[in-house]
Amino acid sequence: MFAPLLSLAPLTEEVTSAEEVVSPDLPWVTIVWNDPVNLMSYVTWVFETYFAYPRTKCEKLMMDVHHKGRAVVSNGPRESMERDVEALQGYGLWATFEKDR
Amino acid sequence: MARAFLREKNCYVALLDPTERAMLGGLMEQTRLILAPEVELTGDAFTDLVASMGVSLAAADQTDIEPTDSDQSANQPASPDHPGHDAATDPSDFTDRDPALDRLLPTAHRGDDQVAAEFRRLTEEGLRQRKSGNLDVAMRALEAAGLSSGDRVVLDAEQAPAFLMALTDVRLLLGERMGMRTEEDAARLHDAMETIADDDPLGYALAWYDFLTWMQESLTHAVMGEGRPEPSV
Repeated sequence: MFAPLLSLAPLTEEVTSAEEVVSPDLPWVTIVWNDPVNLMSYVTWVFETYFAYPRTKCEKLMMDVHHKGRAVVSNGPRESMERDVEALQGYGLWATFEKDR
Repeated sequence: MARAFLREKNCYVALLDPTERAMLGGLMEQTRLILAPEVELTGDAFTDLVASMGVSLAAADQTDIEPTDSDQSANQPASPDHPGHDAATDPSDFTDRDPALDRLLPTAHRGDDQVAAEFRRLTEEGLRQRKSGNLDVAMRALEAAGLSSGDRVVLDAEQAPAFLMALTDVRLLLGERMGMRTEEDAARLHDAMETIADDDPLGYALAWYDFLTWMQESLTHAVMGEGRPEPSV
């Protein structure tokens, strides 16, 4: 993700693994991948708008995408993941779904 | 002189002069052309619904024969009313697609092409229509700015998300055309700006890209309730 100078708000560099923000034993996951175009603020806004997650969780997920290259943003049945991927691609994020390993 | 988006009561307002609006409108138009739905809305709700599911009711598409390699390599001229609508734009065809289209409508499964193709068949038409709709909303907002005085681009609470998504797709397209596919690419391109010739089209494109980044950043902060006075550029 690209962070222009204007957006250099203090973001805490907490390291949170994807496993902490999604519950286990749900077989499919939605993944958002890092890209150089989408803004850190915009990705946070998308998570907030679409998932209605609290902002702190959205920022954690966004930082995971930014630093680790990808983050698991939701999990559940395959149909739900396909719906999430379609919605996130509508926002311009590179979202994929796969069976959790 | 542009001013980035700021919240004003129940709307979001930026100042863009006619040149800036024409540039942005032109880029949105190009993005919309690339994203043009395979099937434009017909006005018939049922036909549109079926089309959005990736199924065509057009007579020419009523065939059970799967295209073979020889069919695809046959050099069929594009029909005059649908230039370029040939095998290359088949939603299930992963090869021969405009790379920008792959960035705007990326693969949804890394590792299983069959799953990805099935997802694309089911969702691509709907995504194209939604993205085209966002671009239409954004272009109308730019046109409306030309009809009022003061170069004010005014977005209400419903138009602002559409404008954000339209800006994203325009920047994805511009980024892809400039070869900006990784963080390293982005850094390299911005480093090259230091030495690039004034008349190099790449420098021109990157300057507008950065301008759109600045616009999008300001609108995102405004809709997230973090609006603050921004300096003019």
